[in-house]
Amino acid sequence: MGTALNLVFIALLVATALLAVFARDLLAAVIIFSVYSLIMALMWQRLQAPDLALTEAAVGAGVTTVLFVVTIFKTRRREEEEKE
Amino acid sequence: MKNLLALLFIIALAALLLYVAANMPPMGDPDNPTATHVIPRYLEGAEKETHTENVITGIILNYRGYDTMGEVTVIFSALAAVLAVLGRERRGRIHAYVDRSTVPSSVIVRTMVRFLVPLIVLFSVYTILHGEISPGGGFQGGAIIGGSMIVFTTIFGLYESSRRIPQKVRFPLEGSAVVTFFLVGVLGMVGGGNFLTYAWPRVAAGLQPALVTWLTVLVEIGIGLGGAMVLTSILFCMIREEEEIAVVA
Repeated sequence: MGTALNLVFIALLVATALLAVFARDLLAAVIIFSVYSLIMALMWQRLQAPDLALTEAAVGAGVTTVLFVVTIFKTRRREEEEKE
Repeated sequence: MKNLLALLFIIALAALLLYVAANMPPMGDPDNPTATHVIPRYLEGAEKETHTENVITGIILNYRGYDTMGEVTVIFSALAAVLAVLGRERRGRIHAYVDRSTVPSSVIVRTMVRFLVPLIVLFSVYTILHGEISPGGGFQGGAIIGGSMIVFTTIFGLYESSRRIPQKVRFPLEGSAVVTFFLVGVLGMVGGGNFLTYAWPRVAAGLQPALVTWLTVLVEIGIGLGGAMVLTSILFCMIREEEEIAVVA
């Protein structure tokens, strides 16, 4: 049971990490990245590090997401197409 | 050609990392290097040597006090860097803040935020004050206060939230983490010990546990307030630009 849950979390971590990198819409990338942080927080809790879990949930999923969103609002939302 | 090289490099790096990961000592093994050097000393001696009830607090604020003090300084210098690049918002000039969000927040959202923010702050106060004997502490509680301020600011705007925490309150509190930590460290020297000694040798042995508790709580409050104010200030000076763009346009 515990191992299966760990595997699900790790698979979700890898999936969200890849999605966040490949998303063209930067706002979507930021939101996916906050999901990554949330899963990471659950992971810390499962590794018996509640201190880190609290920090990751507050800073990783909360504060940095908002700071990124503010930055996107001030710049452009779409990534520029590559010029080859 | 370039892509192929990059691919080969990444595959080689992945193989190396996987090889190293496979050779790591198993988690929870009592013969791990992490469990044979300093950890036994921490686990066995923390209560006697640091007089703290929680071993983790003892490690973070006592054995590794210099480390934590450095981290606090890093957070402060992050704020200094942000302020150096973006500049602080000018006092009394934020009335012109223009809400540029395309979806104005509804009554439901406003009511929910009004209801939730005090509860979030209450939880962060618990995290800070109870951090001495439970998971959490200054850093975490400060981040939660910062998060509640961010929620409030995104819904009600910079004007409303900077009226709640005006600059003249934030400005002295931003450095409170470093200052409190340093003062407690110096007080340890005054009390007859080394820098960052919590159990002052000049105090009667019976009073030392209480002293350690109060000093620890003091440091946690300093770190928490400092971290919260740093996060709020970073957010304010990032959002503030909005107003200047809006005024120019």
